[in-house]
Amino acid sequence: MSAHDHADGHLPHEPEKATLEGRNKVLGFWLFLGAETVLFGTLFSAFLALRHNTGDGPTSQELFELPMVFAATMILLFSSLMSVFAVQAMHKNKVKPMLGWLLVTILLGLGFLGLEVYEFLNYIDEGHKMPTSAFSSSFYTLVGFHGAHVAFGILWIGLLILQVLKKGLTVVTAPKIYVSAIYWHFIDVVWVFIFTVVYLMGKVG
Amino acid sequence: MSSNHSAAGEEARRHKVEGPRKHIVAFVLSLALTLIAFAAVASGEINSQFTYIILIGMALVQVFVQLAFWMHMKDRGHLFPIMGIIFGVIVVFTMVIMASYWVWW
Amino acid sequence: MAAHAHKVKRYRGLMDWLTTVDHKKIGILYLMAGGLFFLVGGLEAVMIRIQLIKPMNDFVGADTFNELITMHGTTMIFLAAMPLLFALMNAVIPLQIGARDVAFPFLNSLGFWTFFFGGVLLNISWFAGNVPDAGWTSYVPLAGPTYNSGHGVDYYVLGLQIAGIGTLLGGINFMATIINMRAPGMSFMRMPMFTWTIFITSALIVFAFPVLTVGLVALMFDRLFQANFFETANGGSSVLWEHVFWVFGHPEVYILILPAFGIISEVVSTFARKRLFGYSSMVFATVLIAFLGFMVWAHHMFTTGLGPVANGLFSIATMLIAVPTGVKIFNWLFTLWGGSICFTAASLFAIGFIPTFVMGGVTGVMLAVAPADYQYHDSYFVVAHFHYVIVGGLVFGIFSGLHYWWPKMFGRMLNEGLGKLTFWTFFIGFHLTFFVQHFLGLLGMPRRVWTYLPNQDFDTMNLVSTIGAFLMGVGTICFLINVVVTSAKARNAKADAWEDGRSLEWTIPSPPPEYNFKQLPLVRGYDAWWKEKMEGKSAMTPAEPPGPIHMPSPSILPFIMSVGLFIAGFGFMYDKLYLAIGGIAVTLICMFFRSVFDDHGFHIEEDEQEKGVHA
Repeated sequence: MSAHDHADGHLPHEPEKATLEGRNKVLGFWLFLGAETVLFGTLFSAFLALRHNTGDGPTSQELFELPMVFAATMILLFSSLMSVFAVQAMHKNKVKPMLGWLLVTILLGLGFLGLEVYEFLNYIDEGHKMPTSAFSSSFYTLVGFHGAHVAFGILWIGLLILQVLKKGLTVVTAPKIYVSAIYWHFIDVVWVFIFTVVYLMGKVG
Repeated sequence: MSSNHSAAGEEARRHKVEGPRKHIVAFVLSLALTLIAFAAVASGEINSQFTYIILIGMALVQVFVQLAFWMHMKDRGHLFPIMGIIFGVIVVFTMVIMASYWVWW
Repeated sequence: MAAHAHKVKRYRGLMDWLTTVDHKKIGILYLMAGGLFFLVGGLEAVMIRIQLIKPMNDFVGADTFNELITMHGTTMIFLAAMPLLFALMNAVIPLQIGARDVAFPFLNSLGFWTFFFGGVLLNISWFAGNVPDAGWTSYVPLAGPTYNSGHGVDYYVLGLQIAGIGTLLGGINFMATIINMRAPGMSFMRMPMFTWTIFITSALIVFAFPVLTVGLVALMFDRLFQANFFETANGGSSVLWEHVFWVFGHPEVYILILPAFGIISEVVSTFARKRLFGYSSMVFATVLIAFLGFMVWAHHMFTTGLGPVANGLFSIATMLIAVPTGVKIFNWLFTLWGGSICFTAASLFAIGFIPTFVMGGVTGVMLAVAPADYQYHDSYFVVAHFHYVIVGGLVFGIFSGLHYWWPKMFGRMLNEGLGKLTFWTFFIGFHLTFFVQHFLGLLGMPRRVWTYLPNQDFDTMNLVSTIGAFLMGVGTICFLINVVVTSAKARNAKADAWEDGRSLEWTIPSPPPEYNFKQLPLVRGYDAWWKEKMEGKSAMTPAEPPGPIHMPSPSILPFIMSVGLFIAGFGFMYDKLYLAIGGIAVTLICMFFRSVFDDHGFHIEEDEQEKGVHA
């Protein structure tokens, strides 16, 4: 193993894969994402089955406003790019820039979350609540699950920033940063399907 | 046979540090695909059948780009992540068929 | 990381068990908890059979009968069968692949405790007076808020949700373990068959359990927050629940049976003293069964009215599974063929498994014929079929595995006489109970109904069935007596306890030391240990020099996290928001501590490695 590598201040090239623990963490996390794929896939299929059943509530054409969805999409896409830069900075062992990119990542994440809360509150005003129809239930569950993932990601990456400030970039913290970046991209990938299937296809009808 | 290099020895030896360029290309590509999708819907000119096809196509390409570049799936040593995601996608695919054809009839 | 030589607190007694991250101890915990739930589920089964012993019996009322069948099914599948499999997985897999532990020891412990508290939550319903009573499949609208307004189904939803987290973690853990932690030289095609089946089963868990998670969330939202997933009046669909449940539920069946296939392969090959016949076809068949297992769920829904196209597709896909399963059956027979078979209790259970499972498989193909299924559906024929595959397949497999690996887990050989008595009583009792149920079903006796009228030709067969159930109970008691008797004996099992061991677990002491392998072994082929023995060697070639061994430190956090989820479950159920938030907060705070405080583990130095190890 690479105990001597970081004892004298030098990290190996890909610090997230330097130890067996790190490699286990990355692999295990990918398997978890496989499970998450199925989790969101099930939510999507429930939504697809129920999305036209609006009952007395508003339909998706009446409800959705594309500019707001577009703004949210852009914020999340930028945020994903920021975390790419963070991992690149980590591979070059530049700790300060890495922390900067991570900070921007979660600030954008917070912006996304704020927009989503604002959107949900608007919908509730328009009489689109959880018990309104099968469409509303499956909409809130799918988009809400995604939102909860964003919220968890913000807390997680925030905690990792504090840890790196305290412990520095080591073969223990590096896999965590790497894995959290993968998680953040995954959230963005899920959002691609949400804005496509829920919002754009909902607008088309 | 190729699957038994469980240690990540070979990939750790790739010494060149990759630049940000291809990630920016991936970003621009994602941006363009998103814009096309939104534009197709916002214009309201195209018939809905064709819009669906455009939307699904754009989403699939964008997800492919992000998985390959941003999530490093094109790099070496990602056999099991790729298999995991592909199998997940197969399960999801069957469920989407289920939701589209076998819930209401 | 030799740089960190931290002193780690080692616990003793009860605290040792609560904090352990050692896969062997977690295996024993799974065995105890799963065994306990097996007895609870068995008791429920006996009560069901007593109620049905004669026509118009009034041993229990109709409501209680519904609760009994629901809890029997749920308990046996989720809280008995799966944990018992996890017990064997934990006890054996790291040893078979030549590893010192699993990939994520902390998650392993977390997985056990979430399963345990989920199971406890589910069973507390008996004392709360609100027992789930909508069947183990919890079909809506029966399980929906309109027709089930009490808290019964809430216990089902939340209990399974919490237990499901544990199972998912276990699946990810064992996949990562088998991919990353194999000993030098052990390629995928040199892995023992049990390891292969656990690998595939773990993959099925990873891809099937999230579906259940979403289904349970949707049902929970319907019940607690007036959502409309399954409320037909507001645009929901009750067929959607059936789909979601069975997209999970059918792979679940293979999650249960594949490990049994693995156990049988090991036991048959060991006690026939022959290499497993057709190893690579066995691997291929396992992968194929797993893949097809995801494509056949709607055969549980033939009578729903999906239409001839869907019914035809799923009918054919289901019959296809018989092909790889047949490959396996013939491979076992050819392994036995010409072997010098040793009839131990473990071997008897394995050999008894083969014809029994074939019978369950044949009725499975019968049920796969969609037009005929309209006749069999919801009758005792179905009950007979799935008990043949789950009891005759899985439970026989578990008994076989327990008798086989008991010396490795505990260092003591189970009593062979009592073991054979267990086999014969259980085997005969099983066939008495369930064989006649095929005919009860064909005569038209519906399942899930609490009683029946006399003079329909049901009476005698039901009596026989109940007698068989008692005999199975006697078999289980024989096993328990065996365990108690054995635990009083000396710990003198040899490393290669059956002398014909083929895989790596038989190269280390019984029970193994904390670190399993003092030096990781070098694997030179399939049946690694047998190969060395055949070349006259008495030990594996080490793949590394001796040295200090790094171990993960024990932790109480998994236990506290699971308690947090347990409390949150009650909070959700009884609309106590502060309890729900408090419970989740406890869990999140534990995750915070786990992330912030690095676990450096500790080292066992060379001179300490012999301490307490039984030669």
